[in-house]
Amino acid sequence: MTRPNRLRLILRDLGTAAAFASMAVSGQVPAWALGLVLVAVLVSLMGRRPFARAPRLTAILLVPLAGALYLAVAAGQMDLVVAACSFAGLVASQRLLSETNPATDGQVLLAGLLMIAGGAALSGELLFAVCLLAFAVLASLSLGLAVVEAAVPPGEPVPVRHVLRPLFMGVLIAMAGAVAFFVLFPRLNWNMGVRRATPGLGPATSGFSDTVRLGGSGTLKSNPRVVLRAKLTPDPGAQRLDSYWLGRTYDTFNGQEWSTIGAPSKRRRTRVTLRPGAEKQVYQRIELLPAYGARTLIALETPAKLGNALMHTPTGDRRMQLQELGGDELRFVEEGLGYSYEVYSVPPGVDTDPGKLDQKEMDQLLALPEKIDPRIEELAHQVVGNETDPLAAAQKLSSWLQREYTYTLELGGDVADPLMEFLFVRKAGHCEHFATALTLMLRTQGFEARLATGFFGGERVGDEYLVRAGDAHAWTHVLVPGRGFVTVDATPAAYRANQSLELLESLVSLYEAIEGMWRTSVVDYSFRDQMNFLRDMSRPPRNEPGKERTQLPPLRAWLTAALAGAAVYWTWRYLSRRKARAPVLEATRFVDSVERQLSSAGVRARDGETLEDVSARLTREAHPLAPAVSPLTRRYLEARFGQRPLRPGESARLLKELKHSVEVHKQQQQTPRARAS
Amino acid sequence: MSTPPPSLWRRIKAALRPPRTLKVTRMGRTYLVVTFGVGIGALNTGNNLLYLVLGLLLSVIILSGVLSERCIKDLTVRRVGTDGAFAGEPFAFRWGISRRQGHAFALTLSEVDSPLTGEGGVGYLPAGAEHVVRADLTAPRRGPVKLTGVRITTTWPLGLFAKTRVVALEGTLLVYPRRGFACADPGEAAVGHVGEANNPHRMDGTGDIAGLRELSEHEDARRVHWLKSASVGKLLKVEREREERRTYILGVQSGLTGDALEQRCEEVAEQAHRLLEAGHEVGLELPQQRLRPGAGSGQERAILRALAWLGFEEQREEAA
Repeated sequence: MTRPNRLRLILRDLGTAAAFASMAVSGQVPAWALGLVLVAVLVSLMGRRPFARAPRLTAILLVPLAGALYLAVAAGQMDLVVAACSFAGLVASQRLLSETNPATDGQVLLAGLLMIAGGAALSGELLFAVCLLAFAVLASLSLGLAVVEAAVPPGEPVPVRHVLRPLFMGVLIAMAGAVAFFVLFPRLNWNMGVRRATPGLGPATSGFSDTVRLGGSGTLKSNPRVVLRAKLTPDPGAQRLDSYWLGRTYDTFNGQEWSTIGAPSKRRRTRVTLRPGAEKQVYQRIELLPAYGARTLIALETPAKLGNALMHTPTGDRRMQLQELGGDELRFVEEGLGYSYEVYSVPPGVDTDPGKLDQKEMDQLLALPEKIDPRIEELAHQVVGNETDPLAAAQKLSSWLQREYTYTLELGGDVADPLMEFLFVRKAGHCEHFATALTLMLRTQGFEARLATGFFGGERVGDEYLVRAGDAHAWTHVLVPGRGFVTVDATPAAYRANQSLELLESLVSLYEAIEGMWRTSVVDYSFRDQMNFLRDMSRPPRNEPGKERTQLPPLRAWLTAALAGAAVYWTWRYLSRRKARAPVLEATRFVDSVERQLSSAGVRARDGETLEDVSARLTREAHPLAPAVSPLTRRYLEARFGQRPLRPGESARLLKELKHSVEVHKQQQQTPRARAS
Repeated sequence: MSTPPPSLWRRIKAALRPPRTLKVTRMGRTYLVVTFGVGIGALNTGNNLLYLVLGLLLSVIILSGVLSERCIKDLTVRRVGTDGAFAGEPFAFRWGISRRQGHAFALTLSEVDSPLTGEGGVGYLPAGAEHVVRADLTAPRRGPVKLTGVRITTTWPLGLFAKTRVVALEGTLLVYPRRGFACADPGEAAVGHVGEANNPHRMDGTGDIAGLRELSEHEDARRVHWLKSASVGKLLKVEREREERRTYILGVQSGLTGDALEQRCEEVAEQAHRLLEAGHEVGLELPQQRLRPGAGSGQERAILRALAWLGFEEQREEAA
């Protein structure tokens, strides 16, 4: 047996790893299975086959594992699909570590195929597409090399370089075919089997807690992951929204952290009204992505009504109830991978109702920490002066803080009095320091205020707005009599949105854009999309308002014309090839017919005698058919070798003349015999 | 004795043979089962990713058909033949295969509708160059083997299907008698020295020294000229004017058929081989043919050829 090609084995092992990864990206494969398969792939990549000596024994060991998995499924501790996928991974590992032969290689790659199918059933991640692509390329190359290796005589080298290029081309064509099948094959049922995405780029990093503690560093501000997508009606159309997305508020500060005294409501509802609506409300269809990592609903400031909420779970979507907590916070009752819901918000600048606040909560809007530094009140008074309007006072303080203090994400960690540290020592801090300073300074001057947290920003992608984890922000709500809570932000404007690296943000945006396309074009592709696709192909595009119509034909017309042209070219090429062969066949058929007619008249060609020889013989012997055969022979030779093909109908005419001569010859032969008898 | 004409079923099969035949390999069968399962899963659940995987699997099936067809079309094959084919043992057989344009991969060649077993392969066939494919074939019995065509099979690109094409190519392969151990004595020599020594290599010959040549295998070391050998550093043998050889006439009696004829042919072939290797001259007496005594490998080849045709004289006339 020849030594197997090392490259082929590496490709096979990597293909198997890609297939297993397609399941692992769902995050549902147990860690022990993940570890075992990883070890098996690494050992195999090193060229070691420890199971080669006892392939049957190690295969038998899989039986108790299968039994254990079955029991786990029966006990409800493991999903059936997950168990099947884990077992496929174990089978592939056992085969990877066994002796290499064509049967083993085939089994490894077929187990990989099963794992890919399992991955398709487990998740709709974009990474699945990457794994599928990797598996298709690696497995095809490995199989192709195995096929060539089997045909190469022992001892001869495998022509790897010559094989790889056509295989790559083949894989690309297969991919194109897969896409065509995917787009055009009619969807006969609803997309019920799909499982929603999990946090693809690691665990969720943002989130809301019941308290906000000052201090620490602002690593969250540099996180570019998208946590929220929102579609707004009416559409503002701006590229950057720069709006406040409210999560919750805090009214109590104990010197180190913010909390809320409001008690959570025990009622659970599908629709919650926080305050009366206004005339020009903004409708939002919001999706909280798995990277968000919390149950608190987010909405554009100032939210009025929220409801129609769905929770995304690994097994599908479920309608979800909402629970009202203190501080205007609304939470989903259960934890899921992601959520979607609808919100109506009162736009900024419109007077709002302060919401449902009892007297205790109203009193808390003026509460100060017990050990507050008296210098803070003095400082606030210096800035505000005798101003009595809460909003004007807040704006004065806000401008002063932005002017006198600097924004930084680098802090020294926890300190005993973070506010004093910010105002009098470091004179630098992040949004929570600015918002806390403004809120408490307002309270020292008798103005009601509270801390609000959520996100600031909104980046337009397509017809949606994205909010990133780095957009997490804190600001101040000032209670203005008759107008409700008004937002005042003490943080310098340049530092309100996320502070992530531009390159990192671009990369994540690219990933998010591709992931969005993957989700809409592949995972959620439906019969309706198919119908739209076909309608767009067959009907002219609608006139979109604001879009200038060009005089040139649309792109699809150019594509159709190019395809039609290519089809005509290939048809012409095919027919021209056939046409080149036709005269030869025609001449051959012609000479066969001549020989048949001559043999019916008793003139038979001898062994090796051509029609030319027969014609010459007949002329020599002064045969009565010689005058008829001679021009036929000449014409045949011209057609066969002289580049003068027979014209349509010419052979039939010539054969008819010969037939006539043959019949006359036969009659002449029969007449004397009749007389003799 | 003559080769039985092909059976009616075989002729019908040959006439009805399609231009290409497709066979699903073992891995291909499993692949089809998996494809079917994924298809059922996709239709049952409506999972779009399963549709995507199904599309990929089906595309690969179609692609396998297209690429394998591109691989085995426009091929030209000729038989280079063999140096000598002995019944019952593998012999090297060669085909010359070429392609005018385009590359071909993983081709396996074998003879179609013949008792020859074995196949040869080529991993990569570039355009415009002839590649000689070598195969170790085995013929079960002695005699002429009529060759009708060459079967070209490819499992390219992924080994899921084996596509086969038969290139019609008439020819005849002459299979020599099986090589074995000859128990019977060749009998008395017709001409030559009669004595204890039965090997002319062990005799000194007579007459003057005609020259010196290198001592070859199986030759008697007693004929070495030690002085000259020592001077040139290799063993040299003395050649005299008259080297003594014996002449044997081997024969196959008429009337032998079946296994008896085969056995006798094999025995004569082996005796001739031994005697010729020992340096004797050997002639052959057959019912319808006589070979004059001669020595050397050419004579052995002539004897083997005559023995291979024995019982197949009609086909020999046809082939001639």
